[in-house]
This record gives sequence, C-alpha cells and structure tokens, in this order.
Amino acid sequence: MEVSNSCSSFSSSSVDSTKPSPSESSVNLSLSLTFPSTSPQREAKQDWPPIKSRLRDTLKGRRLIRRGNDTSLFVKVYMEGVPIGRKLDLCAFSGYESLLENLSHMFDTSIICGNRDRKHHVLTYEDKDGDWMMVGDIPWDMFLETVRRLKITRPERY
Amino acid sequence: MNYFPDEVIEHVFDFVTSHKDRNAISLVCKSWYKIERYSRQKVFIGNCYAINPERLLRRFPCLKSLTLKGKPHFADFNLVPHEWGGFVLPWIEALARSRVGLEELRLKRMVVTDESLELLSRSFVNFKSLVLVSCEGFTTDGLASIAANCRHLRDLDLQENEIDDHRGQWLSCFPDTCTTLVTLNFACLEGETNLVALERLVARSPNLKSLKLNRAVPLDALARLMVCAPQIVDLGVGSYENDPDSESYMKLKAAIKKCTSLRSLSGFLEAAPHCLSAFHPICHNLTSLNLSYAAEIHGSHLIKLIQHCKKLQRLWILDSIGDKGLEVVASTCKDLQELRVFPSDLLGGGNTAVTEEGLVAISAGCPKLHSILYFCQQMTNAALVTVAKNCPNFIRFRLCILEPNKPDHVTSQPLDEGFGAIVKACKSLRRLSLSGLLTDQVFLYIGMYANQLEMLSIAFAGDTDKGMLYVLNGCKKMKKLEIRDSPFGDTALLADVSKYETMRSLWMSSCEVTLSGCKRLAQKAPWLNVEIINENDNNRMEENGHEGRQKVDKLYLYRTVVGTRMDAPPFVWIL
Repeated sequence: MEVSNSCSSFSSSSVDSTKPSPSESSVNLSLSLTFPSTSPQREAKQDWPPIKSRLRDTLKGRRLIRRGNDTSLFVKVYMEGVPIGRKLDLCAFSGYESLLENLSHMFDTSIICGNRDRKHHVLTYEDKDGDWMMVGDIPWDMFLETVRRLKITRPERY
Repeated sequence: MNYFPDEVIEHVFDFVTSHKDRNAISLVCKSWYKIERYSRQKVFIGNCYAINPERLLRRFPCLKSLTLKGKPHFADFNLVPHEWGGFVLPWIEALARSRVGLEELRLKRMVVTDESLELLSRSFVNFKSLVLVSCEGFTTDGLASIAANCRHLRDLDLQENEIDDHRGQWLSCFPDTCTTLVTLNFACLEGETNLVALERLVARSPNLKSLKLNRAVPLDALARLMVCAPQIVDLGVGSYENDPDSESYMKLKAAIKKCTSLRSLSGFLEAAPHCLSAFHPICHNLTSLNLSYAAEIHGSHLIKLIQHCKKLQRLWILDSIGDKGLEVVASTCKDLQELRVFPSDLLGGGNTAVTEEGLVAISAGCPKLHSILYFCQQMTNAALVTVAKNCPNFIRFRLCILEPNKPDHVTSQPLDEGFGAIVKACKSLRRLSLSGLLTDQVFLYIGMYANQLEMLSIAFAGDTDKGMLYVLNGCKKMKKLEIRDSPFGDTALLADVSKYETMRSLWMSSCEVTLSGCKRLAQKAPWLNVEIINENDNNRMEENGHEGRQKVDKLYLYRTVVGTRMDAPPFVWIL
C-alpha cells in the first residue's frame, strides 16, 4: 500500500471519523467517478493520468523507499548558513513533536515551529508547489504528502 | 520448396526471425509446420493465459527463448489488483521438468517470486538472459540466486519492477569467474548498493555494454565505474549530485570523454543540473536520451544538453521542457523517431507546460518521427490536422490530454476531426490512444481509416454503443482494445462475438456492460475467458436480486485454448 493512500483522509478503505456524512460522501464519490480531476478520491485512486507508479512517485518529489512493509521518506534538511545538509527519514517520526526534538538534537540548537521567535530557530519546509511554508500548520499526514525539503531559519530573519 | 531436403528448408527458415513470419510459415503445409516446429527457438506469448506451458513445449521442444506477458496493460495504471494473476512459477516449473535448453526469458507484467528465480537459476545450465519489465513479487534474494547460479549470465535487465530490496549483498553473489555480463540494469532498485562489489563486477566484465545504476550509486562511484568501462554503449546514471569543483567531478569529466561508444543515456534520478555539462563532449553520439525521471533537470541546462544531441533518435522527457524546449528539439534533432513527453505536474494546477504548439513544432521539424506519446494540458483540431499533414508516417500515436473530456480549447468542439485527420493520413498506424472530448464520430473515422490498427486505448470517450461498434467492425487487425469510463454496453459487446477470436484481448472498465451481458457472451463463446474483476463488492453481485442488470466494474476477456484458469483470486469471477 503506497504511503499516499494511507495518509489520505479520503481513502475509501480507511475508517475515519473525519469522513463526510454518508449522503455527502456518495455525492462526492459519484462526481469524482464521472469527472476525475484533482478531487481527493481520484488522487487516492491513482489511476489518472495514465502513468506508471514509479513515475508518479518520482513526480511527487518524494524519495520514497519501500523495504518490505516499511516506507521511508527521506528529505534534505539544511540549517541556514551551513552549506552541508542532512538527510532525514520523516516516516521515522510520529508527528511534529518528535521531528522537532530530533532536529534540535541533530543540529544542537533549539528549534521550534509555528510562532515567530527572535531567540529560536524556526523550521520551514518547501512544499510540492515550491513555496516555503511554516512547519506545523497542517496535519502531520498531509505534511508528509507535500513536504519536499526542510530549512531551519536563523532567528534574526524573523 | 518441397523438393529440397528438410535440412535445406530449415536453413532457409533460419533467416526468418520475426514471430509473425514464422507463424505464417507454419501454416503453409504440414511438412513446413513440422520443420518450423523443431527449428523454432524463440517464442512470444502475448497472454500467458492463452496457452499453457505443456502445450507450448509439445509444439516447440527446442525452445531457447521465451517471452511472456501477464497482466493487461491497464495494470500499469493501478486498474488491476495486485493479486489478479500472471504467475510465472508454473511456467518455470514446467520448463524445468521438460529439460528444455532455456537460455532467455523475458517477462512483462508478471508475478515473479524468489522461488521462481531460484528455480530458474538452477534448472538451465546455459541460461543467459533475464529481462523483467513491470514485474513484481520478488526481492533482491531472488536476484542473488540468479547472480550466484547462472554461470553464463549475459543480461540481467530489470526495467521498472517492484522489487523488495533487502539491502542484501546480491551484487557480491556474482562469482569472480563471472565475466560474461553484457547488460546490467538495476535502476529500479530502491535500496543501497554494495559499491565495492559493483565496481569489481564491472571491472571484470569486458563485454559490458549496458549499465543502468540505481539512485544509491553516487557520482564519485559513477566516475570510477566509467573508468572501468569505457566501452559502455548504454548508461543509466544513478544519483548525479555533486559539487562541480570536486575531484570526483573532474574524474568523471575525464572518464566520460573516453566513452566514445556511448549512444544511450538515462537515469539522473537525483541530479545537480549544472553538472550535466560533463556529458556534453559525447552528446553528439547519442541516439537515445531518457530524462523522464530527471525531475530536477529543466530550463537552460536541459536546453543546452539537447542542443548538443544532434543525432538523437529517441527522446523521453518531462513536459517541463515546455513548448519552447520542444522547438529546440525540433530544430536540433532531425533524426528523431520516437518522442515521449510525460507530465511533470500531477496537480493540474493550470501549468501549461506543453501545448499543441510543441507538438506541431516537433511534427514540422522531425520528418522521421513515427512514435509519439504526448501528455499535455490542451489540444486543438487544427493542430492535429497539421501534425497529420507533417507526419503521415506515424506507427504509434498516443495523446493524453490531462483533463478528461476537454474539448478543442479554441473552438470548444470535440477533437473528432483532429484524430480523424491522424487516422486518415497515417496509413501505417498500429497503435492509437485517444483523449479529450470525443463523440461517436471519431470512432467512425477510426473504423473507416485505421486499417492497420492493432492496439487502441480509449478513455472518457464516445456517446453510444455505435462508437465501439464502428471500431469492432472496421479495424480488421485489432488485437488489443482497452476502454475505460466510456458509455459502451452490452449491445456493442455482443454484436459480433467471433471478432474476439481474432483479438488477443478486450478490457472494459467503468463502462455500461452488465453482468447478464457478460454471461451471454461467455455462453456464446466458450473459447473465451470472460473475467469480471469486482474488488469492492465481493459476492454482492450474486446476492443482489437484480444482478443481471448490475453494471460490471471491470471486464477483461481474452481468447484461450486452455480454458478457465485455475489460479484466479476470489474477486475475479470467470464466467
């Protein structure tokens, strides 16, 4: 099962309390079946456009590695001002807290996300559109879908 | 010819190599059938369920090379569940039992297990060549058996397979005595690679012509490998990230200059675009360039690279090249025969990377173009008419407009006339894929003009059963018809059952065919396997009182001489 299926909250095979009510979901499903575009159901289904899975994974910009039943998602992490980056497997973390904890340890400094802070480094990420965003605003599994790389910004910038 | 002794006839047959021709020869008379049987070394089986290994071996006991295809084409796009079938193990078991001298096995869309690879590696002393395309079900342990046991291995070619990488030492399983490798392609492996074992293997393989690395092979290792193998013809670069000032990069540049036989380049799975210039010195020799996985190469670096590739015959690229980039291709690559442009942005965020303009430019600039696969955001009838005029020699024409049902973006008309122009002009067209807004009219044109058409892919097209009927009645050479999300139903399906005897297979998903229609078809044509794939509603079809009228989600039918297959999973219902 590919990561995107398990992460998507609209996957038809998951039992999820955030799923829309039965009448809504049947409308959504029938719409997406007649007009697949970028509706979540169609994305979860991954059968359009007709390209092979390997290319699909590459284009999502993710370094997705499958080993047995595990998946890894390696992204690059740079600290602003430091030319050599690190690589991190985001699937090894359960959420933002453990990510931050690990990063702080890796770069030997305190890193936060969310609010601006003149004293701490702030964690940002490049999403699949190429935009740089503040880490922490979206649910973790959505973050895994969209993140391409991480950057730890210097405090003065904010 | 019958006045000659058999050995002479057989010698003549040796010059006939194409499967079609050999099949034709065998139909001439009994004596030729017999001679052909015993001299046939290569057999191609387009559908592994059309025949079984026992009958294959009875007819061709001197088999040396076998090509097998399993799942239907739409399996590439996640439309066929993984457990559907296409298992190679029974074939390998039967071949092993018969002690046939198998030397070459080529599989496409089949389920291969470590057990089958192990058996394969132990059963055939002269086994030389293994080519696996879009297969799944095995791990690097299976590769280790092949490496360890096939003493005369020449080709190990793994193209786009799903392989469980156990991060094992499969590369070090090649014995030191193995020096016969000609092809080594493991680009699809996702795990780490034993670089030392790889370098030693390449160094002791003087015949190595094709080497395709996975992303775990960094640039400095590439440099060392190329120094060992300057005779390389086909190179798949793994990870291509480095500092352009580094020593490794300098070494790489020097090594590349010596690779004067290099004709084909691919990979760049992770790439630092500014390092591409290392390849400029050999670009003028390249006939094939595949950058479809090189998402990080675009813009000026890509253009500069292409401008050096004047002899290119085959180009696979992402649409980030843009119309302007395609114009550069059109003015540079005059020998271009095959072009594939893949989508780089799956969100469809209105990014008009390539449009009809790029396609027209290519058709105008590249007179030898005969195969195209083009993903784009928009198309017009006028453009297609121009393309048809510029390139009447298309053999394969596959157009995929990313948004289903999209009309001509200038006139808002369906694209019937555009595709009509293509099929009318391209008399040798064998393969066609349609997209955009299309009515029954386009199928009328196809049925009328596409006389040589063997494979047709239809998605979100047509209005009524008439559309499908035009195709079934008109295209005499149709072999594979695959249809999804189109309003064709039982009337079209059942109109001419004997047609399916001349075709390899028919796929219909999310169409209007019903269960009772499929049942009637199965009754009329016992020599067909009519499979209903119903993943979501296991057994709901039987329980429902109105089962007959219920629409079938996925239908796959194919001719076969060996009846119903026994290995179908529970969600596949064979009528």
